[in-house]
Amino acid sequence: MDTLQFLADGFSVAFQWHNLLFAFVGVLIGTAVGVLPGIGPMSGVALLIPVTATMTSGLPTEAAAASSIILLAGVYYGAMYGGSTTSILLNTPGESSSVVTTLDGYQMAKQGRAGAALSIAAIGSFAAGIISLLGLVLLAEPLSNVALKFGPAEYFSLMLLGLAAVSGLAGKSMTKALMMTVFGLMLGTVGIDAVSGIARFTYDMPILYSGFEFLTIAVGLFALGEVFKTILERDGADGAIAKIHRILPTKQDMKDSSVPIVRSSLLGFFIGVLPGAGATLASFFSYITEKRFSKHPEKFGKGAIEGVAGPESANNAASGGAMIPLLTLGIPGSGTTAILMGALIMYNIQPGPLLFDDHPEVAWGLIASMFIGNLMLLALNMPLVRVFAKVIQTPKKYLLPIIVAISFFGVYAVQYTTFDLYLLLAFGVFGYLLTKNDFPVAPLVLALVLGPMIENNMRRALTISNGDFSIFVTKPLSLVFLIAATAWLLIPLILKMRGKSVIVNEEE
Amino acid sequence: MSKTFDRYAGIVFLVIGLLFVMEARKISQSAYGSSVGPDIFPTGLGILLVLLSARLIYETFRYKGEAGKKEPVQYKRFLVIFFSAVAYAFLLEKIGYVASTFLFLIVAFQAMERGSWVKTLIIAAAFSFGVYYFFSELLGGVLPGFPGL
Repeated sequence: MDTLQFLADGFSVAFQWHNLLFAFVGVLIGTAVGVLPGIGPMSGVALLIPVTATMTSGLPTEAAAASSIILLAGVYYGAMYGGSTTSILLNTPGESSSVVTTLDGYQMAKQGRAGAALSIAAIGSFAAGIISLLGLVLLAEPLSNVALKFGPAEYFSLMLLGLAAVSGLAGKSMTKALMMTVFGLMLGTVGIDAVSGIARFTYDMPILYSGFEFLTIAVGLFALGEVFKTILERDGADGAIAKIHRILPTKQDMKDSSVPIVRSSLLGFFIGVLPGAGATLASFFSYITEKRFSKHPEKFGKGAIEGVAGPESANNAASGGAMIPLLTLGIPGSGTTAILMGALIMYNIQPGPLLFDDHPEVAWGLIASMFIGNLMLLALNMPLVRVFAKVIQTPKKYLLPIIVAISFFGVYAVQYTTFDLYLLLAFGVFGYLLTKNDFPVAPLVLALVLGPMIENNMRRALTISNGDFSIFVTKPLSLVFLIAATAWLLIPLILKMRGKSVIVNEEE
Repeated sequence: MSKTFDRYAGIVFLVIGLLFVMEARKISQSAYGSSVGPDIFPTGLGILLVLLSARLIYETFRYKGEAGKKEPVQYKRFLVIFFSAVAYAFLLEKIGYVASTFLFLIVAFQAMERGSWVKTLIIAAAFSFGVYYFFSELLGGVLPGFPGL
């Protein structure tokens, strides 16, 4: 069967009525998550895992996995869109990938063009979603065929590359980012060793035999960490919300932004494919590029519609692009995709090159549902812009305790132990302290998910080579990955030494 | 960025790394026909963390400590919510999901801002009952509902 046939099968999965519903609920919640302050795409996806797990409990495993990943991916790209709403109306980005949108979006809102800015963001996101889907369809099959030839040595080096890329770009200090990565890997070794069956670092506590649950740690670090931060530091001084007069953009607006949308979508997609780069970086690059290509660069920062259309398309395209390394190589390139991967593993479905052969229903169903989800986002957001603008006004004093309660519910419903609730609170405080002091937590979660796989592949490779570590440099592909990983860490260092400022990727 | 925090964090992670290496040495080295046992990977990680922490401590002596922006920090509010969350975790299995969630939300809402008791009670009750019935009745999930059940 060829790609088109698979895609058609994917659409038949995505068009099942319950999957349509799941996609709809996903993008709806995602948009709300993106709009609400204090809860980003990463914590949104993490919190919904237990809910989807229960909702799909009646279905056979594979169908259940397809349905819940459809919902969770919907939350992911829905949040990418929702984040722009607050940027434009309030001048406060809902999540980091919408930071640049504030530059021109809020200016447009001040000029009474809030509606046009919001709808061009929706249109740009939609176009970007479609473009990145085409890329996904075209690249998925060939890439996974290449990846099938990988042995354990190649996998080990490739995952090191993924970790290096995320650490190299995360946060202000690379030392801190690397420390977080190593610490995440260390947390991943707790529990029964999958190869030899020996318990490590468990100290005879049965609760530790299965290791730390990544869901607990991710929700603690991201959702609770953010809530604690808001409780401690910010106080209710919210800005005024700009009014929305006219929703549809003018013909001139459309003309001005069509080229930037296409250009930024392509740019965003390729940045998204790179591990570690992701949506935030994509939106920054897109803004810089659009400003350079524009005939009126002086208009940027004063309400240029290209300055909204470009970055918003780029961050959506990047979230589509980020699916490629996850689905084809089984290596998540960002915090959110790491959580999506964790969700798939919970259903006993291993993302990676075999996914397209073993579970075509899941892989192609997801791809097709992203197409439908993007269509829903557009249909949902154009008329409902005013409703979502209301969601922003949810008072923090009710929102924050409820996020804590949802986190508790989410963790308890999956783990059934109070131990994980204490762990959740501990990681909440830990996450707050770390983020506040520029220790990035995304590499930690990524390392926690990848850790056991890295170790297994390392040991399998070393078993093949009889304990000879040179296997990692004598296999050509593995050597290439290792060189790329080193370069990823060294180049920013060299640039810094030369006094150049390096764009870093904030949490997403 | 706080220099003192970084230094202490460096020391803490250094100690964690050292302990990790020491504990990893105790893991049995049997490897079932392979020369690489379950102890190699953790040992390597521990050593890496020690090196990185040392590097961080060294860095704290290099950069000038910025005078951190003093933001008003609301310790009291945080501590009330944090400890009521600990109590929530402790009580969840003892008095059931609905009651513990209800109590936690009331305390937390009031800690955020005093007053408007009616709204507090309504939202707390709606959330705790709503989640419980949605999850365990409609979706068939398992939650410890009420005490004695």
